[in-house]
Amino acid sequence: MTLDLTFREASARVIGALASRFRSLDIAEDAFAEACARAAKAWPRDGAPRDGPAWLYRTAFRAALDHIRRTKTAERLAPEPPSVEPNAEDLMIDDARQIPDERLRLIFVCCHPAVAPEARAALTLKLVCGLSTREIARAFLTPEPTLGQRIVRAKRKIAEAGVPFEIPGPEAWPERLDAVLSTLEIAYSKAHEDAALAGPYAGFAEEMLTVTRVLAELAPLEPEVHALAAIVRYGEARRPARLDEGGAMTPLSEQDPCRWNRTLIEEAEACLLRAADLNPAGPRALQGAIQSAWCARRSLADPAPWSIVLALYEALLTLRDDPVVRLNRAVALAEVLGPQAALTEIEALDARALGEFPPYHAVRADLLRRLGSVEEARAAYLRVLALDPAPAERLWLQRQVRRLAPST
Amino acid sequence: MQYALLIYENEAVYGPDKQGPAMTAIRAKHMAFIEELGAKRVAGAGLKNTSAATTVRSTAGKKAVHDGPWAETKEQLGGFYVVEAADLDAAIALAKRVPLQPDGAIEIRPLLRQGPG
Repeated sequence: MTLDLTFREASARVIGALASRFRSLDIAEDAFAEACARAAKAWPRDGAPRDGPAWLYRTAFRAALDHIRRTKTAERLAPEPPSVEPNAEDLMIDDARQIPDERLRLIFVCCHPAVAPEARAALTLKLVCGLSTREIARAFLTPEPTLGQRIVRAKRKIAEAGVPFEIPGPEAWPERLDAVLSTLEIAYSKAHEDAALAGPYAGFAEEMLTVTRVLAELAPLEPEVHALAAIVRYGEARRPARLDEGGAMTPLSEQDPCRWNRTLIEEAEACLLRAADLNPAGPRALQGAIQSAWCARRSLADPAPWSIVLALYEALLTLRDDPVVRLNRAVALAEVLGPQAALTEIEALDARALGEFPPYHAVRADLLRRLGSVEEARAAYLRVLALDPAPAERLWLQRQVRRLAPST
Repeated sequence: MQYALLIYENEAVYGPDKQGPAMTAIRAKHMAFIEELGAKRVAGAGLKNTSAATTVRSTAGKKAVHDGPWAETKEQLGGFYVVEAADLDAAIALAKRVPLQPDGAIEIRPLLRQGPG
């Protein structure tokens, strides 16, 4: 394993444990960075330790203590840091399993409602997934300095407002868990949007498989946690079939199920089953069920499950009546009742709210094309292309435009 | 930590001089809340309407006195508590228990200098 990979894999465990102990993300992060820097020098010279993460934790722990002593001397008036005398166990561990597992606390801190929503996902990816600011900035299509500032402000808010390093109590748990899951959904949608997983997102989707697995292990009784783990696995299972030979995206209903990753689908089914045992009617469980209906297809000869998908979107709509759900439902409606019914639905949506949302124009374009409104379809395809889609989507859209009957 | 819980509501609900029935009802709830807070309450007060407000405004160092509040808003600062809470989550839990009209807001602000707690 490369050094970077070891560091990244250890990062959430070590930073989580340090942050919980010292009640400060900055101290935890700086100490971990210091430990990694020392490892980068010491390991190639002296040989890698038997247990890399344990070595990093021990070293970071000492670095944090040193830092606190220095600031204590420098600022006599600074508030007393919490008692941090190391106990024997902290310094003797030689086994990563003995690093206190505080990752769930770390996730809850990063996704606290007091943190600006656009900063939550970035902070989670940085501290829980170990991505660098540069990697996150690229994934969010945000300049690195802007994203860096966002993370700095979020950490300052956490420190100044007194966000606790605690897992919330039962009364706050549903609200807080939902903030966590929404954050992870945003993070995953970034990875999922790009079918080719070409540049900025490489490795990103992989992290989402890990973080949802970790969350499911840590909160085994929460149905929506398992459902999200399932959704991520279904999405990743289909990735091999999402591009054609020409590098253009392939719509879900045209993907060859033989190219889907069956192992991941089985994992997803297991996650969804656990979610459904706990609560089959949660919004994420229903989304998972939609994915499951698609993944039940074994070949393109099997009929596409449009009527099941439509029924599940109907159910989802009663829980989450938002334009994105309505849009997805309209896609299924077009296959079950025909494109005119779907177009009527779509035209009833708020065009202004969805104006910057590429799928809105793409779905509209497709329906208009099928209804023979060539010029309107062309205009709608051009709207999507103007929104700068990922390369695979762009190729597909350009092909759709070329296939339209020539303008008269 | 010490937090200020700032109460923002549409003061019109309480009548022109905060003596309407809505005020009587919410005063009783505040008394009960103060009882419940016990030692966690560091300070607090209800404020008269913004019609009683006077503002000293400094513009480029020049002071001028204006009638009315510092800004016209839909909801007005009508009172505040200063409470002792272990952390933000504890402060949020207290803020959720502050008596409030169906529409209104409690802003939670950590105190700049933490008093002896």
